[in-house]
Amino acid sequence: MTTTHMRRVAAIAGIMGALAWLMARGLPPPDPAVLPAGADGGFAEAVAPRAFVFPRDHGPHPEFRQEWWYVTGNLDGAGGERFGFELTFFRFALAPPAGADGASAADDEEHPAKSLWRTRQVYMAHFAITDVGARRFRYAQKLARGALGLAGAAGAPLRVWIDDWTLAAPGGAGGDWKLAAAQPGYALELGLQPLTPPVLNGEAGLSCKSDVPGSASYYYSVPHIAVHGTLSRQGKPLAVAGLAWLDREWGSGGLGPGEAGWDWFALQLDDGTELMFYALRARDGSRDPHSAGTWVESSGAAHGLASAAVGIEVTARWTSADGVQYPAGWRIRVPSLALDVAVHPVLADQELKTTPRYFEGAVDVRGTRAGRALGGRGYVELVGYAR
Amino acid sequence: MRALRAASLRHLLRHPAQLALALVGLTLGVGTMVAVDIATQSARRAFELSVAAVNGAATHEIVGGPGGIDERLYVRLRAALRGAAEPAAHFAPVVAGYVSAGGRIFELIGLDPFASAELDAGAGRAAAFGVRRLEEVRGWFTRPGAVVMNAAAAHALGVAAGASIVLEVGGVAHRATLIARLAGTSAGLDTLIFTDIAQAQEWLQSTGKLSRIDVRLPADSAGAALAGELAALLPPGLTLRSMRAGTRETLAMTDAFTTNLKAMSLLALLVGTLLIYGAVSFAVLQRRTIIGVLRALGATRREVLAMVLGEAALLGLAGAACGALLGLLIGRGLVGLVSRTINDLYFVVAVNEVSVPPAALLEACGAGLATALLAALLPALEVAASAPTLGLARSVLEGRALRIARRLALLGLALAAGAGLTVALSSRSLLAGFAALFLLLVAVAAVTPAVLRALAQVCARLAAGVSSVARLACADVGASLSRTGVAIAALGMALAAMIGVGVMVESFRESLREWLLQAMRADVYVTAPGPSEGLERRLEPQVIEAILSVPGIRAHSEGRRITVTSPSGPVDLNAVGLAAESYAGYRFTAGEPARAWEEFAHGAVLISEPLAWRLSLAPGSALTLSTDAGTRAFPVAGVYREYGNDRGEVLIDLPEYRRWWRDDAIAGLGLFLAPGVSAGPVSDAVRAAVGTRQALLIRSNAAIRALSMRIFERTFVITRVLYWLAAGVAAVGLLSALLAWELERARELALLRALGLTPAATAALVLAQTVFMGLVALLVAIPAGLLTALTLTEVINRRAFGWRIDLHLAPEQFTNALWLALAAALAAGIYPAWRGARAAPGERLREE
Repeated sequence: MTTTHMRRVAAIAGIMGALAWLMARGLPPPDPAVLPAGADGGFAEAVAPRAFVFPRDHGPHPEFRQEWWYVTGNLDGAGGERFGFELTFFRFALAPPAGADGASAADDEEHPAKSLWRTRQVYMAHFAITDVGARRFRYAQKLARGALGLAGAAGAPLRVWIDDWTLAAPGGAGGDWKLAAAQPGYALELGLQPLTPPVLNGEAGLSCKSDVPGSASYYYSVPHIAVHGTLSRQGKPLAVAGLAWLDREWGSGGLGPGEAGWDWFALQLDDGTELMFYALRARDGSRDPHSAGTWVESSGAAHGLASAAVGIEVTARWTSADGVQYPAGWRIRVPSLALDVAVHPVLADQELKTTPRYFEGAVDVRGTRAGRALGGRGYVELVGYAR
Repeated sequence: MRALRAASLRHLLRHPAQLALALVGLTLGVGTMVAVDIATQSARRAFELSVAAVNGAATHEIVGGPGGIDERLYVRLRAALRGAAEPAAHFAPVVAGYVSAGGRIFELIGLDPFASAELDAGAGRAAAFGVRRLEEVRGWFTRPGAVVMNAAAAHALGVAAGASIVLEVGGVAHRATLIARLAGTSAGLDTLIFTDIAQAQEWLQSTGKLSRIDVRLPADSAGAALAGELAALLPPGLTLRSMRAGTRETLAMTDAFTTNLKAMSLLALLVGTLLIYGAVSFAVLQRRTIIGVLRALGATRREVLAMVLGEAALLGLAGAACGALLGLLIGRGLVGLVSRTINDLYFVVAVNEVSVPPAALLEACGAGLATALLAALLPALEVAASAPTLGLARSVLEGRALRIARRLALLGLALAAGAGLTVALSSRSLLAGFAALFLLLVAVAAVTPAVLRALAQVCARLAAGVSSVARLACADVGASLSRTGVAIAALGMALAAMIGVGVMVESFRESLREWLLQAMRADVYVTAPGPSEGLERRLEPQVIEAILSVPGIRAHSEGRRITVTSPSGPVDLNAVGLAAESYAGYRFTAGEPARAWEEFAHGAVLISEPLAWRLSLAPGSALTLSTDAGTRAFPVAGVYREYGNDRGEVLIDLPEYRRWWRDDAIAGLGLFLAPGVSAGPVSDAVRAAVGTRQALLIRSNAAIRALSMRIFERTFVITRVLYWLAAGVAAVGLLSALLAWELERARELALLRALGLTPAATAALVLAQTVFMGLVALLVAIPAGLLTALTLTEVINRRAFGWRIDLHLAPEQFTNALWLALAAALAAGIYPAWRGARAAPGERLREE
C-alpha cells in the first residue's frame, strides 16, 4: 500500500461522498473492505521503471486507474503575513479504457446517440488555506466528471481543472505554471516557477510500497518551486510569494492488507535541500518496511532513503474537537545526512474533514545539519487516523 | 343554578337516542369535512415531498420549452456568477422524463451526483458520508442502465438490488439494472427512478439537452440580486423561476378540483347544522315546562341561556371529536380516490402517507362547536325570553312554529333572490358561485316547513271525505311543525343537492360524450405511450413512415402535445397538422370558424374554452407564450369546445409550432381509413409494420371514447361518495326527528289506540305520516335540485373550469332522490310505528 493507494481511497470516498447525496437515504451498511486489490483488469500497471519524458508526463495517464497532481506550499504576504496552501487534483478511472478489457466498460455499449456526460473519469480536488495570523484553516472540495469540460486533464500543454480551479503550464514546460482556486473567503492565484527539474522517487520513479505485484506507482516530485501571486482574503487582494512542492503520482494498484495509513513529510530547508519521506503505518502502529524517502541536494541531485535510514519520534499530539488524535510534532533524524530536525505544524488544526479525513498542514522546521543550525518549512500529510 | 344543571343532565340522559342521533349528524358533517381536508392535503403533501426529494435544496430552477436546455449553458453558468472568492450560485443539471415499468408510471430523474451533492451541501441537508461501497459508485457511472430507487418503488416492481427491469420510454424498451436501493422513507421518492444524467439523456433521446437546471441562490438580498443577474444571462426561451412558484403552479392546477371537494364537504356540514338546530330546539321544546318552573323559581334568563348553549357546546365538542375520528377513517379511503383523480387529470403522484393537517382537526373542532352554538342560539334565546310561567300550551307552541314557518318561507324567498343576485353581481368568482349555491340550498331548507304545512292542510281537507284517521294523520303532520319541520328541511336540502349534483354529472357526461363523438374524427389513433404532455412521447420518423405505408389509410393528422411556460403559468400546447376531415371536429364557441381556420393557417392560435376562461381571452386578443426564440404574443383566432383538459389548451399549426420551438417530434397520429376498411385489421397491420421498434398505443376511435368516459366516471366517484354522505346525514336527521316526535306523542297514539285504532292501523298511520313527509321534502327538492344543477353547471363549473355544459336531464337523477326520500322516511318511521302499535293503550295514558 502506498500514498497513492490511500489518496485513491480518498478519491473513491470523495466520489461516494457525492453519491451520498443520493445514498443518504440509505444504501446498505458500510462495507469495511473498501478496495480489493486488482479488482478488475484492463488498467495499465506500474510494474517496471519507465522512461519519464517531460513535459509529456506532467499530463494525464488515463490508462492507469488513478493519478494526482499535488501542490503544497508556504507563502509570505507583503505585510509579513504567513500562509500555507494545498491544491490537489485527483483523477480516478471508474472503469478500464474501452477495449482494454471490455467486460465492464460502459463505453462499449452501443448507443444510438451517446451522451456527452458519459465518462469513466472522475476528478476530485481539494483546496486548503492555512491563515496563520488569523489562526484559521479553511478547505473546500470539488468533485466533477471528466466530461463537457466540467473537469479534466490535458497533457500538452498541461492543464488540470475542475470548474475554475486550475493547475496549468500555459507556456509549455519551460515557462511559468499557474494555479488558481477559490473558496468562501479565500481566492488564490499563483505563478509557479520550478527551480529544479523533476526528481524521480523510488527506483527511477517506480515507487514500490508493498510486495504485491502491480501495487506500485510512478512517482516524481518537483520539490523547489518559486511561487508568487495574489491571495484574496474576503475579496481583499494581498501579494504573496513563497516556495511550493509538486508531487505527481499514478498507478493502478490496490490496497495491501494490514495497512492503517501514513505520515508524509516534504521539508524544504533553508540551505536549498529537500527531504521527502513517507512512513507507512501498519495496523499495529509499527512502521512498514516499504516506507521510503528522497533527499534532494541544492544542486537538484536526488538520493533515495530507505526506511531504516530515517528515524522519526513523535513529540506532540493534537486531538481534534471530535476526538481524533493526530501526532503534532516530530523529531526527525537522518544519521547518514547528519540531519536532526524538529517539525511543528504552524497551526494545530489543519485537518480536512473530507472523506476520508486527513491532515495536510504547513509546518516549521528547526534543527541542525552537521552541527550547524538549520531552519525550514514544509508540509506534512497524516492519513488514516480518523476511523 | 345547580337545579338547572341537574335538570339539563337528567334530560339528556333520559333521551339517549335523541342525543345519539344529533351527535351522529354532527359527526358525519364534521367527519366529511375532515376527510376531504385530509385527502386533499395528503395529495398535496405527497407532491411537495416528491419535489423536495428531487430538488430539496434548490431555491430556483431554470426551465425551457419543449426543446429543453442546451447542456452547454449549464457549463457556462457554472463559470458565470462567481464572485471574487466564492461561488455564490450553485447549479445542478436534471434530465427528467416519464417511464413506465411494471405497468406503472415513474418519473425518471437523471442527475449528476456531484453537482447535486454540491447543490445540497451547506443547505442544511448535509449528506451523511457513510457510504463505503465501491461497487455502487462504479456501477452508477459504468454499469449500463444503472438505476437507483427506494425500497417502496423496488417492492412495487418486485425487483431486488442487482436485478434487471425493463423500462419503457415512449414505448421503447430499455434494460435497467437496480444497482442500489434507497432505504429512505420519504414518500416523495416512491414514484421516482434515479439514474445518471448520461443514461437519462440516452434513454429519453435528449442528448445535449437538459430538462431543467436546479439553482441554489443565497436566501438574502444578495440572492435576489443574483437571481436578476442570472435571469439576464439566460438566452431567450429560458426562464428562471423560484421553486416555490413552480410547485405553486403545479398545485394550482388542482385548485378548482379541491375547491369543489371542499364545497361538497361543507354541504354535509350544513345539513349537520340543521340537524343540531332540530335536536336542540326540540330538546328545548320538550323542557318548556320544567324551564318555566325553574324560571318561576328564580333562574335568570342568562342562566337558562347558558344552560342551553352549554348543552349545545358539549354536543358540538363531542360531535367534533367523533367527527375528527370519523374523518380520519373516511379520509384514508378518500385519499385513494383523490390521488387517482389527480393522477388521471393533473400529475403523477403516489400518496403513501396520509398526512393529517393539525389545522384540519382544529378546524373540525371549531366547525363543530360553531355549528352547534349557532344552531342552538335561536331556540336558546327564544326559551330564555319566555315569561317565567308554568310553560306554554302545546297549541301556543305550534302556533308559534307556524308563524316561524311563514317567516322562514319569506326568508327563503329572500335567500333565493340573494343567490340570484350573488351570481348576477359577480362574474368570475368561484367563491361567490359557491356562496350562491349555499344560499340556494339554505333557501330550500327555509321554505320546506311552510310547504309541508300547506300540503298537509290540503291533504287533510282532501282526506276528510275518505277517512277520519287519514285526515287526522295529515293534520297532525301539519300541526307538528315544531318537531318535524327542521328534519324535513334538512332532508329537502340534501335531496336538492343530490338532484343538483346528479343532473350536473349527467349533463357533463352527455356533453363529454357528444364532444368525443364530434372531436374524435379519425378512425384509428396511434400514439407513443406516456403522460399526455410528456416530452418523451414521440414517434420515431421511421416508425411514422412504416405506419403510413400501411394500406387502407386515406389520410392522417399528426400532433404533438407539450407544456410551455407563459407569463400566466404553464400552458398546454397542442401542435397539430390536421387532415381535411379533422377540421369539423372543432366546435367553436367564439369566433367565426371559416375565418378562424384561415387565421390559424397563418400563425394564429385557437384556444379551448377553459383556457379562454382562465386567461380571459377571446378572438382578437393575444396569448403570450415563451418560445425558444423568446416570448411571443400569438393572436387568438377562436375558442373551441374541449373537455379533455380542464386547464385548457392552445391549438397551434404544426409548422408554426416548429417555427418557434426547436422540436420536430410527433407524438401521435390520427389515421383516416379508406371506405370499407375497418379499424381492427389496420391496427394489426400498423402493429406488424412497427414491429418491436416501439411499443405504441394503437386504439380505435371507439376505444378512446370508452377510455375517456371511463376516466370521467372515475373522477366523479369522489363527488358521488360525498353526496351520498350528505344524504346520509340528512337521513339520520330525519330518523332522529321522527323518533323524537313519536316518543313525545306517545300519549296521543295511546289515546288513538284507546279509541279503537288497531295496532296495524296505528303503525300504518305513523308510516304514512313519515312517507308523506319524505315526499314533501322530495317535492320541494325537485325544483330546487334543478336550480342547484343550473348553478353547478352554469356558475360553478364555468367559474372553476370555464366549461360550458349543456343541461341534460335523466330520470334516474330523480328516481335516486325518490328512493332516498322513501328509504329515509320508512327507515325513520319503522321504529316509531312499531312502538306506537305495540304500546298498551292504558299504560301510556297512565304514565303521567
